[in-house]
Amino acid sequence: MRFALIGNPSVGKSLIFNQLTGLGVEVSNYPGTTVELQRGNTCFQREMVELVDLPGVYSLEGSSDEEDLVRRFLEQQDTDAVIVVVNVTRLERNLYLLLQVAEYGLPMVVVLNMADEAAKQGIEIDPDPIRDILGVEVVQTAASQGKNIDRIIPAALAASQPSMVEIPYDHHVEAAVRSLGKMFGADRKESVRALLGFGDNPELLEAARTIADEIESRHRMTVAQIIAANRHNFAHRIADLTVKGETLLRQTDPDSILTRLIPGMPILLGILVGMLLFVFVAGSFLEGLIVEFFNVFVLQPFLALGLPPLVEELGRSILLALQAGLGIAFPYVLLFYVIISVLEDSGYMTRAAFLADNAMHRVGMHGGAVIPLTLAFGCNVPAIMSIRLLHSRRERIIASFLVTMVPCSARTVIIAGIVGSFVGIGAAFSVYAVVFGLILITGLVLSRVAPGERFGMIMEMVPLRWPDPKLVLKKAWSRLSEFLFIAMPLLLAGSVVLGLLEFFGIMALFEAIVEPYTMALLGLPGYSATALTFGVLRKEMAFETLAILAGTADLGAVLSSLQLYIFAVVTVLFVPCLATLTVLLREVGSRITLAITLYTVALGLLIGGLMFRILG
Amino acid sequence: MLPSTFEDYLEAILTITENGGQSATSQEIAAALGTGREIAETTIASLVEEGYLERATGDAVRLTEKGSSVASVVARKHRVLQCFLTEMLGVDADAASKEACTLEHDISDETIERLSSYMDGAQSPPGRMGRCRGRDASTLLLDCKEGDTVRVAMMRGPRRHRRLLDLGIFPGEIVQIRRKLPNNSVVVRVKGCDIAISPEIAASIIVESCPP
Repeated sequence: MRFALIGNPSVGKSLIFNQLTGLGVEVSNYPGTTVELQRGNTCFQREMVELVDLPGVYSLEGSSDEEDLVRRFLEQQDTDAVIVVVNVTRLERNLYLLLQVAEYGLPMVVVLNMADEAAKQGIEIDPDPIRDILGVEVVQTAASQGKNIDRIIPAALAASQPSMVEIPYDHHVEAAVRSLGKMFGADRKESVRALLGFGDNPELLEAARTIADEIESRHRMTVAQIIAANRHNFAHRIADLTVKGETLLRQTDPDSILTRLIPGMPILLGILVGMLLFVFVAGSFLEGLIVEFFNVFVLQPFLALGLPPLVEELGRSILLALQAGLGIAFPYVLLFYVIISVLEDSGYMTRAAFLADNAMHRVGMHGGAVIPLTLAFGCNVPAIMSIRLLHSRRERIIASFLVTMVPCSARTVIIAGIVGSFVGIGAAFSVYAVVFGLILITGLVLSRVAPGERFGMIMEMVPLRWPDPKLVLKKAWSRLSEFLFIAMPLLLAGSVVLGLLEFFGIMALFEAIVEPYTMALLGLPGYSATALTFGVLRKEMAFETLAILAGTADLGAVLSSLQLYIFAVVTVLFVPCLATLTVLLREVGSRITLAITLYTVALGLLIGGLMFRILG
Repeated sequence: MLPSTFEDYLEAILTITENGGQSATSQEIAAALGTGREIAETTIASLVEEGYLERATGDAVRLTEKGSSVASVVARKHRVLQCFLTEMLGVDADAASKEACTLEHDISDETIERLSSYMDGAQSPPGRMGRCRGRDASTLLLDCKEGDTVRVAMMRGPRRHRRLLDLGIFPGEIVQIRRKLPNNSVVVRVKGCDIAISPEIAASIIVESCPP
């Protein structure tokens, strides 16, 4: 048996999915897309039930990746029943999607979730009208309290009949449906979808287009508008019957402070700076602990074994890579992801997007771009993946440039470890100031020169709520594992190559060649060039490598403050890491990836060179 | 009937004088029509000769009564045509204005009358049409104040913003402006949900006030 969970974004779908399946969830890409699906298993009366958590969508007819995925999933019809999760506090809007799903003719169950919220808001719900009009089973739940969740699977197993509901469309649309039915034998669902331009029968589509044009010229509304209006009106009627006695208990509205310029903007900036500061302090403390622990209990015992030099060098390289990986992944990346997941799950991110909309317009994007830019502080890889939520290629190009310049947690390690420890915390923050300034300038320039049209933001402000700690941790953990999966192998391979090059003396040769150039350009010794080069593999490796090559962890003893500062600035700007380049290639193509690479290298060297000339 | 260039001149002068100022200089007229100043001056001279214009101070001119009536007829034709092209046919505003500029000279008075009354009568479901008697009579969602409750009348470029439809913002629906930032980003409440909208999208939604 296979059931699919479907619903609007933030209706508590993930929470229900989690409660039904527990841990052991498999995350997989749906064939042909990069959007991820969660699958999980649950047992009911000794029968295995597979659950698929589809991404949250508002409609089945939009053009976003998520909507496309859900549409194709339903079209395959290899689901035994769909479980439509509805947020009863926003019943009418949620019913719109429910009606669309009902038209697909799959057996279904309706879950009226957030019954507790509704009660709090004084909304009384009578599930009977939905049951009668749609002819499907209805379960009322309160997922946040785990109430009635156990009734969902039995109801889904019992569901055998698709909903028989027929949405009353405008009479022109109805006439079109009848004539398409007569001409091509298409059923109601196929005809409606053909009028909207979906389907795979070219003749049907052609005929439907002609009729749609005709209807449009008569109504001066597109067929999509008419059909949407009909569905919304039908949803409105059902909602009216379902919602009994709405006594508006007006609660305090946090949006009255969050979405105003004052104090909303200071709060937003406070949250961003607070996030950086917290990860900076807590992260470097934890990193110190992990590195120290690793040194004492793993690295030193290994070196004490007295293995042959080549083996020892290899082993040491692998262990150093592990140390660096663990030292960054847990303190920095995980902390960032926990904070970002809290921001996302609480619904605050949409407020941030709204407030930042104007600022993002200046740099050629819309408010939604706040999400990838914030994610980028954790790691650029998922941030690049999330630029898909921007509509136009123009915005995606601009976002990919800016995201790769945002100091990710690995670069935070460089800034904290090199500048913060050896130069001072004020200097460390000045690196951020320099980078943010450059990001702003880059954005301003790109918004002038990048080709393509502008799109604006249309975003639902999801209700604010306390995030569920389990879900937050799970989300942060799955993002962390993604990071480890991409980063760790590269880190290990890079470290081994570095170790071998060092062992065979090739490194020394390389350094002797580049030293005059780096000295003249940046005022840095030759081995720093090696460190920079390895920074391409993983940013924080630049730090590790520098320490190894300098022969001491006390970098302040061998390099001047200015040299350390310049090294950090150049590393932070210089080339996105290999993992980022890989996803960039996938998301924006080779030309843009090459342009970003060249731009960041040039920018890093230019800024480093300028600093050397002016401050040196 | 006057040659179309003459009509263009009169229309341009009408626009200039309507926007403040008693008279229009040849420089302003040339700029409005995008022609050279010398050509403009020759044409203006012959319009003065024909009695459509009269000389004001310096090289400025103003419309005579005769010129003014021709100019307002042409301007009205322009408005009606532009309204028809944008609101009924969905032609982009700039393109419609250009198109109207060429069509206005050849279209007969009767056709314009019929077109105008056709559009008046075409308001069958109340509120579906953006009112565009004057060129700027329609209100945009962008221009609403915080707290306003309005009815969506029409959406420009209906194919571009599918998500608006899915979130319940379609012609005929009543929305409330919950928040408007100084930079014109708005939050509207529709069907009990708050939707944040960028200024350029709010500018494509034409609304009308609805009785409370």
